[in-house]
Amino acid sequence: MKRFEVIQAGSVEDCLRALAAHGPEAKLLAGGTDLLPQLKNGVLAPRYVVDVSRVGRLRSVDLDGDRGLRVGAAVTAREIEQHTGLRARFAALAESGGLIGSVQVRNLATVGGNLCNAAPSADMAPPLLALEAEAVIAGPRGERRVPLSAFFTDVRRTVLAPDELLLELVMPAPGPRSGGHYLRHTPRRELDIAVVGVASQLTLSNGVCARARIALAAVAPIPLRATAAERALEGQPVTPELVERAAGLAAEAARPISDQRGSAEYRRHLVRVLTRRTLTTALARARS
Amino acid sequence: MTMKTTRDVRGVGLAIPRPDGPEKVTGRVQYVADLQPRGLLHAKLLRSPHAHARIVRIDTSRARAMPGVRAVLTAADIPELKRKAPTRSHAVLAIDRVVFVGQPVAAVAADELAIAEEAVDLITVEYQVLPASVDPLQAMQVGAPPVADAGTEADTSEAMAHGAVAVARADAPPPKAVNVSQQSRLHRGDVAKGFAESDLVLEKTYRVPMVHQGYLEPHAVLAEWDRTGFLTLWASTQGSFNTRSEVADVLGISENQIRVIPMECGGGFGGKIRALCEPITALLARATGRPVRYVMTRREELEAGNPAPQVIIRLKTGVKRDGTLVALEAETVLEAGAFSGAVLAVSAVFLASLYKWPAFEVRGAEVLTHKPSIAAYRAPVAPQTIFAIDSHMEQLARALKLDPVEFRRRHLIVEGDPMANGQPWQSNGGREVLDRIAEHPFWKSRAEWKASSGNGRGLRGTGLALGGWLGGLQPTSATVRLNPDGTLSVLTGQVDIAGTNIALAQIAASAYGVDIEKVRITTGDTDTAPVTGLSAGSKTVYTVGTAVLQAAEDARRQTLEIAASELEAAIHDLELADGRVTVRGMPDRGITLAQIGKKGNLYMSKVPPVLGVSRPAFSQQAPGFAAQLARIEVDPDTGEVTVHEFVVVQDVGKAINPLGVEGQMQGGAVQSLGMALTEALMYDGSGRLMNPSLLDYRKLTAADLPDIETIIVEKPSPSGPFGARGVGEPPIVPAPAAIANAVEDATGVRITTAPLTPERIALALLGGQPARTA
Amino acid sequence: MAKHALSFTVNDEAVEVLVQPWDTLLDALRERLGLTGPKEGCGTGDCGGCTVHLDGKPVASCLMLAVQARGRAVRTIEGLGRPGALHPLQEAFVRHGVPQCGFCIPGVLMSAAALLAENPRPTDEEIRYGIAGNLCRCTGYTTMISAISEAAAAAAR
Repeated sequence: MKRFEVIQAGSVEDCLRALAAHGPEAKLLAGGTDLLPQLKNGVLAPRYVVDVSRVGRLRSVDLDGDRGLRVGAAVTAREIEQHTGLRARFAALAESGGLIGSVQVRNLATVGGNLCNAAPSADMAPPLLALEAEAVIAGPRGERRVPLSAFFTDVRRTVLAPDELLLELVMPAPGPRSGGHYLRHTPRRELDIAVVGVASQLTLSNGVCARARIALAAVAPIPLRATAAERALEGQPVTPELVERAAGLAAEAARPISDQRGSAEYRRHLVRVLTRRTLTTALARARS
Repeated sequence: MTMKTTRDVRGVGLAIPRPDGPEKVTGRVQYVADLQPRGLLHAKLLRSPHAHARIVRIDTSRARAMPGVRAVLTAADIPELKRKAPTRSHAVLAIDRVVFVGQPVAAVAADELAIAEEAVDLITVEYQVLPASVDPLQAMQVGAPPVADAGTEADTSEAMAHGAVAVARADAPPPKAVNVSQQSRLHRGDVAKGFAESDLVLEKTYRVPMVHQGYLEPHAVLAEWDRTGFLTLWASTQGSFNTRSEVADVLGISENQIRVIPMECGGGFGGKIRALCEPITALLARATGRPVRYVMTRREELEAGNPAPQVIIRLKTGVKRDGTLVALEAETVLEAGAFSGAVLAVSAVFLASLYKWPAFEVRGAEVLTHKPSIAAYRAPVAPQTIFAIDSHMEQLARALKLDPVEFRRRHLIVEGDPMANGQPWQSNGGREVLDRIAEHPFWKSRAEWKASSGNGRGLRGTGLALGGWLGGLQPTSATVRLNPDGTLSVLTGQVDIAGTNIALAQIAASAYGVDIEKVRITTGDTDTAPVTGLSAGSKTVYTVGTAVLQAAEDARRQTLEIAASELEAAIHDLELADGRVTVRGMPDRGITLAQIGKKGNLYMSKVPPVLGVSRPAFSQQAPGFAAQLARIEVDPDTGEVTVHEFVVVQDVGKAINPLGVEGQMQGGAVQSLGMALTEALMYDGSGRLMNPSLLDYRKLTAADLPDIETIIVEKPSPSGPFGARGVGEPPIVPAPAAIANAVEDATGVRITTAPLTPERIALALLGGQPARTA
Repeated sequence: MAKHALSFTVNDEAVEVLVQPWDTLLDALRERLGLTGPKEGCGTGDCGGCTVHLDGKPVASCLMLAVQARGRAVRTIEGLGRPGALHPLQEAFVRHGVPQCGFCIPGVLMSAAALLAENPRPTDEEIRYGIAGNLCRCTGYTTMISAISEAAAAAAR
């Protein structure tokens, strides 16, 4: 690694001050699992690294039965994976937390880092998109809220300005008779990165699908929703045939590239497979 | 000379853990990167971003001016460099042309690694980018961009290092095409006539990409010169004497001016035989007068290590309807990267003469490309070759509706059959390992396993493959000393990576006649140890074990001679047991080993010290065969393969230490499975590595694997110590073929390109091929 | 760029050491404190060789800046056991002949120790996932699984 200065922020205000002073020359550090490799291979060479991993507000998870879920940006993937309160109603999110890297990486990697690094393959993005999360962002002019669907702008690009900080993700609690599931494909079972990731979140009402949310990773420059597939499901009884049709629509929504992790053809195929599988599991969970 | 019976002591055959285990599990053993001498400097290399380019200009002035920078070197600063580097090792820094991405162009030594990294960034190099030869088949075409400087000789020292020289003499026409650096051709009988008379002719092309040896410890070296011009290298090497010779050659100094101290080696698998970063580190140390440490990053390892070659084999066979083998024709292309160094003979021997083909013609070509040059990787070229020939045998058996084990067994060579080069096959256990597969429950129940596919499960199948290794040879030496306390000290220069030292000590114990607890073994450095060969080619126990055995017998003979003189008895009347030499039938008339040891170490004593010495050279190889059996399940949608069971059956001749033998079989099997399932160095069209990290270069994790079942077969080698054969290489050979065979059994689809990734399998299944379940 | 004074606990001892801002925790342990048991096999969290415990949890110490360890408790392989007083996992690894080249072993043992602290009687499958962040090239993992399983069973008795 090349040389840089570290600023350890004790509070959101500390962090904003550091960003105000050094924003364009600074990078935020939380878990470091994406930042440090980029510092080491020379992709990034900031003069300042601002450590936010100890900022209290960023470190907590608040789960309120009615109002929903708030996850601090510096909460680790492992904490999400092991949070017993999330397993029932936020299953897709909990599952994504358990898939990143390996145990020793998940104990460092954070929700905020996973989103702000803005890799198309970010595992936590699809569940949070499917759960309709909003990003709460702090900046010199106060806080603002951005739906996660508008958070990503391009590969490794977000709406965050150099003087802004992602504080937390907030999302409503899925209603009763809801179920979600996240799956990704990787050649290895652990220590890998999504070739394709798909999150599905369904809510049933009177025997039909009242709400469907399907989000895809690693098939476009940004994580994206498969809205045509969602519309096909909503208002309908969910049959295996309909699941298959939705899976096909999701595959059409994908705009994958070919790279060392998979060809566009295989990725599109995987979207269909994983959408079918996640919808089937989400449906079973919504019914149980 | 081989001893076929063990003495009645705790020695050969015991499954005992290596004595340095406690040091290893507590993190106390020292690897090169753990050394921090006073005044240590850190090295960093500037590497080429281009696969092929002319260096127009290098400006190091800004780097040299940076505080904390102690030396900056380019080729211009190193008069010893040869303009036409005969090997990769000699290409210390590029002179006027770079020939692969990652080739070192300049080097920096600095007080801190961070400073060295920044200084490397301050060096500006102006390149004139040239067209590159990236694909080996295109590189063979007339007009392809040339890789080597005109007049560069093929490098066959890798073949020598592996003792494969005995089969390297092929009837080879001179190279013609510009990037073809070696060629071979072996033939027998009338191939054209054979194909004409065949009922079934099958032709396929098999591909295995470049793969990395994958040792966990990256290349590392620490160099320091003293005031008299004497160089000490603390090295991570598979052979300190070889490292010493190569560094001496590259630097143009005498071997006697270099001491190589082998540190704990964090894995080599063939990748740490050739000097890679030792010469440049030595030069930086000389330029600064300080100790300099260089540790390659993982990215550098993957981009610019010395991986295994890509191997492309076009294989055509003709057989009769009843399964009679008639004719075989094959063409092997080994992609060597930017410098010659591949072993052609292994491929020819296994293709043409693992099974008895009455007529064959096998041609081989080593092709240079603008990629990092290759080196050995555990059983070099054998897994890739067996992938071709065993996949082919399986398809023939299926097409002819013959039992796959029986088909192989029927045609497998036996001792005395001619190899492709006319030399006879030595005694081997190929048939015996196939026998054990045939009687294995997973093999016998393969139909039931396949029938259990579907109903929420994937497609299930079973596959086997047979492979092996001819056995490496290299002269070596050892000493065995009797100490004043009656214990033995064994000294060799053998770098112990896998736990070979405990096996060597067991050999000494059994050959001399003391319990293993009385034997201490030491790996010396190049100043202190007797000359010892590489830890490579499955030959440590076979060759160094022979040296230790002979040295221990020599020490025993000397001991008995002294005892005879002291006891005034004839040697043949003496017995050595329980640390004591006695006259047979007269248990009171004796002398302890400690007494003999003491007498050899006393002022004014007339008794000479006991020092057994052996320095054998070898000519007879001992082939080792392994068969592997895979029971798998394929997800027909994603193409994922789950390996439910994996069995390794291996003929080891004699398991000197079964614990160590099983460790080799399990580890080799998993490397083989990596080659079968996930591992590939992937290059883009400009010769740039697309997956230079361990996230994307996928070695298998514990979660991807089942327990590896090991079945040891012991068919004694007539020449190895206590009948032992080499153990290291055979288990890495069969899995790519075994998995491909199992995948065909499960899905009906034949995959001929490794690795069998989920994508490859899924797309093949989508391509209209048979067998899908919901 | 001034060095930072880092105070933390390493293997149960309070330690204060000067570190560079860009030093990783692994750098600080190895180069500044001489604890060379944790290994750097990749530097990017993809091999597990550098695994240490941070407040009892396994982390890839190559992915953390040293200054992030301020006030926290770090345990390295040197603090798990020592020759003559081996941790039961270390004993089992020796007995099963697990180490070959040995480079991955410190990281594997720290992962295994963290796993058993959280889940004292893991299934073989749980053990396999528990050490899946640790690449080993020599052993094929089979003996590791047996050794960890045996150590867990022994501790439960």
